Amino acid sequence: MNTDEDDFVFYGTPIQREEELISRKKKAVAEASGHLRTLPSWKQEVRDEEGRRRFHGAFTGGFSAGYYNTAGSKEGWTPQTFTSSRKNRAEFKQQSMLNFLDEDEKEELEGRYLGTASQFDTFGFTAAEIARKQAEKEQQQRPSAVPGPAPDEIVLPATESIGVKLLLKMGWRHGHSINDSHANSLYKARREARKAFLAFSSDDAKSQPEDSEPGEEDQKRILDHPSVDGFSSSQSTPVYILNPKEDTHGLGYDPYKHAPEFREKKRTRVSGKQGHGNKQALSIKDSLFGLKSGRAAPGFGIGALEEYDAEDEDVYASVYEIEDTYIQEDEEPLRSNTENKPKLIWKEQGVLSGFKVALNSDYQLERFDPPVIPKDFLPHHKFPGPLEFDNKPDAPPEVPPPEDDNLKILIEGVATLVARCGKLFEDLSREKNQSNPLFSFLTGGNGHDYYSRKLWEEQQKRNGQKKIALDGKFSSSVDKMTVESRGKILGEMPLERSSRDLSSSIASVNVNLPFNLSDTFTKPESSSEFPEVAKPFQDDPGKQARFEQFLKEKYQGGIRSTVSSGASNMSEAARARERLDFEAAAEVIEKGKFIKENKLHSQQLMGFSAIGGTQLTFGGLQQVKDTQDEDLATKKIYPIREEFQWRPSGILCKRFDLIDPYMGKPPPPPRMRSKMDSLIVTSDLKAMKMEEAFSADRNQPLALQFSPQEVSKDVVDRETEPEVQVENVERPVDLYKAIFSDDSDDEIEASNLNTKEDPEKKVEVVHSTLNRLMAGDFLESLGKELGLEVPPNPPYAANIAGSSRQKESAIPNPGNVNILSVEENSFSIPIAHSVSRKERAANDEKTEKKGESRKDESAKKGESPGPSEDKSDKVHSGKIAREDRKKAKLPPSLHRKRTSTSSDDERSRKQSRRHRHSSSDSYSDSSNDHRDRHHSRSKGRKKRSSREKTSSKKHHKHHKHGSKNSQ
Amino acid sequence: MSDVSELPSKEANVLKGHEGGVLAARFNSDGNYCLSCGKDRTIRLWNPHRGIHIKTYKSHGREVRDVHVTKDNSKLVSCGGDRQVFYWDVATGRVIRKFRGHGSEVNAVKFNEYASVVVSAGYDQSLRAWDCRSHSTEPIQIIDTFSDSVMSVCLTKTEIIAGSVDGTVRTFDIRIGREMSDNLGQPVNCISMSNDDNCILAGCLDSTLRLLDRSTGELLQEYKGHICKSYKLDCCLTNTDAHVAGGSEDGYIYFWDLVDASVLSRFRAHSSVVTSVSYHPTENCMVSASVDGTIKVWKA
Repeated sequence: MNTDEDDFVFYGTPIQREEELISRKKKAVAEASGHLRTLPSWKQEVRDEEGRRRFHGAFTGGFSAGYYNTAGSKEGWTPQTFTSSRKNRAEFKQQSMLNFLDEDEKEELEGRYLGTASQFDTFGFTAAEIARKQAEKEQQQRPSAVPGPAPDEIVLPATESIGVKLLLKMGWRHGHSINDSHANSLYKARREARKAFLAFSSDDAKSQPEDSEPGEEDQKRILDHPSVDGFSSSQSTPVYILNPKEDTHGLGYDPYKHAPEFREKKRTRVSGKQGHGNKQALSIKDSLFGLKSGRAAPGFGIGALEEYDAEDEDVYASVYEIEDTYIQEDEEPLRSNTENKPKLIWKEQGVLSGFKVALNSDYQLERFDPPVIPKDFLPHHKFPGPLEFDNKPDAPPEVPPPEDDNLKILIEGVATLVARCGKLFEDLSREKNQSNPLFSFLTGGNGHDYYSRKLWEEQQKRNGQKKIALDGKFSSSVDKMTVESRGKILGEMPLERSSRDLSSSIASVNVNLPFNLSDTFTKPESSSEFPEVAKPFQDDPGKQARFEQFLKEKYQGGIRSTVSSGASNMSEAARARERLDFEAAAEVIEKGKFIKENKLHSQQLMGFSAIGGTQLTFGGLQQVKDTQDEDLATKKIYPIREEFQWRPSGILCKRFDLIDPYMGKPPPPPRMRSKMDSLIVTSDLKAMKMEEAFSADRNQPLALQFSPQEVSKDVVDRETEPEVQVENVERPVDLYKAIFSDDSDDEIEASNLNTKEDPEKKVEVVHSTLNRLMAGDFLESLGKELGLEVPPNPPYAANIAGSSRQKESAIPNPGNVNILSVEENSFSIPIAHSVSRKERAANDEKTEKKGESRKDESAKKGESPGPSEDKSDKVHSGKIAREDRKKAKLPPSLHRKRTSTSSDDERSRKQSRRHRHSSSDSYSDSSNDHRDRHHSRSKGRKKRSSREKTSSKKHHKHHKHGSKNSQ
Repeated sequence: MSDVSELPSKEANVLKGHEGGVLAARFNSDGNYCLSCGKDRTIRLWNPHRGIHIKTYKSHGREVRDVHVTKDNSKLVSCGGDRQVFYWDVATGRVIRKFRGHGSEVNAVKFNEYASVVVSAGYDQSLRAWDCRSHSTEPIQIIDTFSDSVMSVCLTKTEIIAGSVDGTVRTFDIRIGREMSDNLGQPVNCISMSNDDNCILAGCLDSTLRLLDRSTGELLQEYKGHICKSYKLDCCLTNTDAHVAGGSEDGYIYFWDLVDASVLSRFRAHSSVVTSVSYHPTENCMVSASVDGTIKVWKA
């Protein structure tokens, strides 16, 4: 800025006075308009019309002399020179008007005011006036023979103005109208035409005939005019028109100031009233001046090519209308009321003049709403040439189906689809499945005859029943497939999806036609199973093909080719590994048959393939695991029934008309009991779930590094797990025993059963255990929640305080439960009453897993995935097991460490949580959200409250979210 | 097994008036009227059989999520996003009392048998019981053993039953002072009682309705086929307890056989999510409400 200004070079000096002048002028104007007058008088400054302060002289008033610089007084006149009233007492002073007049007023009075210079006084008005005055004066000075003022006729203008001279030169003579009748009528005709054009839109039928005869009207007007325009009269002497004031307007007020047309109108009307004719002609509505044009719809203006002269009214000015109505109300209220309104409406509609709007028109602009798109419509083009070989007359000969049942079904399925979707589909699938031996029938290999026969049959069938209402599912699957396959053709990578999408896409990608067709024909489960599931390596078609080959060999027996197709170029080691992969996948598939959720398993397989292709993210995997576990869990454990004590309030009982079951009993800390219950028992339960989740997704990445067999074993194990853990869930009392076994028994009783007895004591007991169990983390976070500062090794008293306050903080902190439960489990395992054999079997592994989960938790909190996850390619089960053991040893120290650093942890966790939260709904990190859920919930709530108007969908999404975490 | 044709699948009336989604539609106790509430912050009273809109109750500051009417049709209670429970007089349309106390949105609300207590379920993980008799606006009881948002509440003469997103259906028996928690493992969206009060139908967010035996907590049946993943959708049993009815997020209404859980009927009812279904207490008539802003009356 500054530099810019520095760059400028100024020549000369700026004129500052101008600004001053302007401001002064402004001030003066303001003063004149009375703005300054509002100031108190001592603040007012007296200025002249230039806005300057005038200095009158130090002794003659200074800056403001007299009254507002007039050198007068407030009374408005200059005081007379002083005369003592002693001498000439009571001298009555005759005051004349002149005493009160200013100089200029006097001048004016004397007749020396502004007038037309005689040179331009065309019609001699001024001259005549002057002459008259002169005559008067003269008459006064020397009385003439004729008394009284000389008649005007006698006194003629002394000079002829230049205009008169010119006119005279042009042939005008006194006593003739200046109007050139020719030119005038021409002009008027043009004007009329324009008016007519303007009126075209606005006029009604009545005016039509008049419009059609402009000449006549014109003439009328011309006839009219002489009486109006004095100068155009044909008389030679100036005609003085006396216009007596007939209206009731104030003096000098001209209502037609801005609308001269109306003056004319009024005049004519008045004259009409006086009986001077043409009354009918110029009702306001009919008049071509003024009204109509004033009312012209704003859309109609004067064309760009037309000249616009001063006489043209401002078509757009709304003033006319107002004036119009005002005047009309004076004279024709009825008419205006009845006729104005419809006219306005018509105008809007653009009705042609001369036409009326029918009350009920039989022509209506028909509007066609866009067709409603069916909800299940997919904007995808179905293959246009569906049955192009319909017209093939020759039916392929009947062919016995191939022995291979699968092949037969496959062929049938493809035939059906091709019949439905057209030949393009056949081409497409042929192209895609070139490498797939199963589809050799498409290219003329095994079963081709049968295929062509089948295809023909299908087409016949379809022709028979032209319009089969495809149910939504089918059509969508068909569409999906084409979309997918197109993506495939284009080499698009399947993106990461939610589980559902994934499964459906798997189902729809190229090879597994039978799955798509599963609704069109039935088939034995086994056969349907394998092509559907055999999609784990879809990212690598070659591999997929080999896998299918492998499956075929494995389950169908027959002659095995030593060299699998296409795999010949692989190294021996690679082949071995692939074989292992296949084995694993096949095993999972096999197992999948037992579990109904095929989709999930195929997805799991997807996971495996992801190792090969390193394609899927962890999120996807975890979700898969999650849902699977969830599913299994729901199947096996839920619903779980638990019973707690609950104390209804007295008044509630009263209102429900029931007897208070706790009547008469001393009010216990009711929340305490349920608190603890939910804390320990429900948390235990949750821990169970947590455990699962942990083992599921924590193990997953690790498991992936195992040999596939182990993975599948893992899966099997996991299945059994939930059951195992349920056992100790249902025995909260036993759990207590287990926990309190080294404490005195009666104390346990006290804490467990009659909670009201000694709340203080109970709190103590419970807290001692709590202390032991959950280490500092829980208390720390609890303290945080309660706003207390908890030292790393929390003193006893603080705990009690915390716990008693805990009553108020309603929610059992689910987060900490995690740690607690881990320990609890290890406690409870040996003691639990009915340890199923499965549990025994799984015991070892569980502990291992626990360690692992713990470790993973810590990993989750702090660092990015542990080192073991990095070496995804190396298959070292042994090593990992060792690692696990190492980690299993870790916990105590880890615990301690966590207590001390837990605040940091908490913070970082919160951050990460926030992160996750903001990321999206699709995240499926179930594991550690347990502990976070409470916080995230509250945060979410806060967020929600700020944008409370969110749709319920979102709301429920959120819930869903939370619920997922709660699993 | 009764005939499928008995199921209400013919559209008898369409009740239009709500601007924006309708979140709940409920028959009154004798089935002559129906109440609806929605995102336009109003509660509307209808005669569903004649398709007449009778009255609009406006006072809520945010969306109204649930409404319930007393047996004598004299009082309404409603709740919604403004964290308050409104206690209305039906005839005058005035709010008699507002119960404040929930920490966040209130999802569901019900009167008890004698219309003396209102129990509301909130997103703040709590159930609150409010006294209609006294002038106190403090809750007479707060139950906050839930660990997630409480979505739905049902009252019997002696019990309070509520379903929560934490996956539990909890029954609070006032007579014996016990809480029974049935963990379904899936977020519970809606619970509804069978007419014989022996079973609870719980709509879960895994697109499954679950029928629980109340006395044992046993899972009797699961009903699948519809979509319920992110909305709070209602479900109910028919008046004869022979069928289960439920809405779906794709605008369909489903009828299942109670016993064998087969889908007996499904039809497209609305253009959008069917948020609520309510069955007539005695006749084969049902109302359904949808996010598309309409309420439809279905008859056999």
